[in-house]
Amino acid sequence: MIEAFPIFLDALSFVLILVLVASGLVIVFGMMGIINLAHGELFLLGAYTVVVAQGFGAPFWLAAALAPIVVGVAGLAIEFLLVRFVVHRPLDTILATWGLSIVIKQLVVLAFGPGSHSVAVPIDGAFSVGEFSYPAYRIVLMIVATAVIAGAGYVLVGTRFGLLARAVIARPGTSASLGINTGRVTQVSFAIGAALAGLAGALVAPLISVDPQMGLGFLVPAFLAILVGGAGSMTGLVAGGGLVGGLDSVLGGWISPVLAQITVFVLAILVIRLRPGGLFPGRGRRP
Amino acid sequence: MPFLSLQNVHKDFGGVAAVDGVDLGLAAGELRALVGPNGCGKSTVFNLISGSLRATAGRITLDGTELGGQAPHRIARLGVGRKFQVPSVFGDLTVAENLDLAGAAGDRWGSGARPQSHLADRVHLADKTGDLASVLSHGQRQWLEIGMVLAARPRLMLLDEPTAGMTAFETAATVDLIRTMAGENGATILVIEHDTGFLERLDCPVTVMAKGKILATGTYQEIHNDPQVRALYFGNRSDA
Repeated sequence: MIEAFPIFLDALSFVLILVLVASGLVIVFGMMGIINLAHGELFLLGAYTVVVAQGFGAPFWLAAALAPIVVGVAGLAIEFLLVRFVVHRPLDTILATWGLSIVIKQLVVLAFGPGSHSVAVPIDGAFSVGEFSYPAYRIVLMIVATAVIAGAGYVLVGTRFGLLARAVIARPGTSASLGINTGRVTQVSFAIGAALAGLAGALVAPLISVDPQMGLGFLVPAFLAILVGGAGSMTGLVAGGGLVGGLDSVLGGWISPVLAQITVFVLAILVIRLRPGGLFPGRGRRP
Repeated sequence: MPFLSLQNVHKDFGGVAAVDGVDLGLAAGELRALVGPNGCGKSTVFNLISGSLRATAGRITLDGTELGGQAPHRIARLGVGRKFQVPSVFGDLTVAENLDLAGAAGDRWGSGARPQSHLADRVHLADKTGDLASVLSHGQRQWLEIGMVLAARPRLMLLDEPTAGMTAFETAATVDLIRTMAGENGATILVIEHDTGFLERLDCPVTVMAKGKILATGTYQEIHNDPQVRALYFGNRSDA
């Protein structure tokens, strides 16, 4: 029992990080239908914001609070300069955002070099209960991630902006004829999605090596989690993230990472084959 | 100048003139029907007024304000409400939420939504306020959309085939609803409809369009007896 506990906590922490990274993507891809292949690089920018801010002597939590603002503004710019011109053509969107991801990666290489940076863990020590102990920052991260995910879900379902955003996503034409500035709502939604990716990058930075390639490793499981869970809702994302992240983490720890990956992909294919809408379909963009 | 004014409005689609020099004027508070065969340009006229399409040439003004070239949401905020031909309600939202959204959408965000649920009563959906719009019948969705137009309190209402797919009873109730709407708050209403029974009951001036042009304007009886209109529009219908 005691031996299984760290595995469970590792899995839970991986799931929450995955859901946190994917929460921005669930808005941009799941709800708005924009296939943003540069989402991983927004995550990357969040982590590098922490590296830069800490270089100026800012404490970690200030840097982590700065990251969503910086990346949110970057998201606004990306939507305004690139995405709005290609959003109605999915294939062009894929190419354009893929190109953007390369540009961002190379700019980061030019500015910071290809090597990895490390961000000091802001909370040292461990929580100990009896003979069991677990790194304190991971516990705090899990709590913060849960709060952010719940907050993002509330914004989408419980607020006026969320209502407008869902209306624009479901029926752009009707929304405009009701007086909703659909372009503005789309822009802000995209920026919120970017800000969430930036926040995720900042919060995860102390646990991983911050390097120009870090985005890809999270982009693939994030898309997978959304597709398996059902595009378009936080509930679906939590379910999909739980399945994808949980299996990957538990099997990876017990058996082997390769077998874990194979199992996850096979399962994802089965779920998508049997339930094309994902585990929790509904909401989001109509076909 | 009329409250709603279209002056020599043209709309070409790749060389095809969908709207070909339309002049149309509605006085404030007027109720007017726009009829014509499929493809005659009625819905295009609606799209030009509401800003979904941009006119190739001509002027469209509402109460003296130029509408041409403005974004759809701006035109909506100027007081133009529109019911689409195909019911375009939000299926994932309840009846009450649909009405609230329509009532609040024109405001700058941040201000609170004003509850519009009482409008459900007007459009015969009082006992359905908690239901998702996706489970409503076709006629009920049409009513909900009329309610959403009302919720925004527009100065000009564009209703595109409000009784399409309705039962005779629902159509009669809709005529009564539109007549009441026309009488209150001085709202100006332009309604597209095919159903001759509906037009007769609505008892308002009728403008007939054909091939992108205005063919005639008059009372229902005048239009019904106009040989040119009969040949073009009513003539091919056995019920006319």
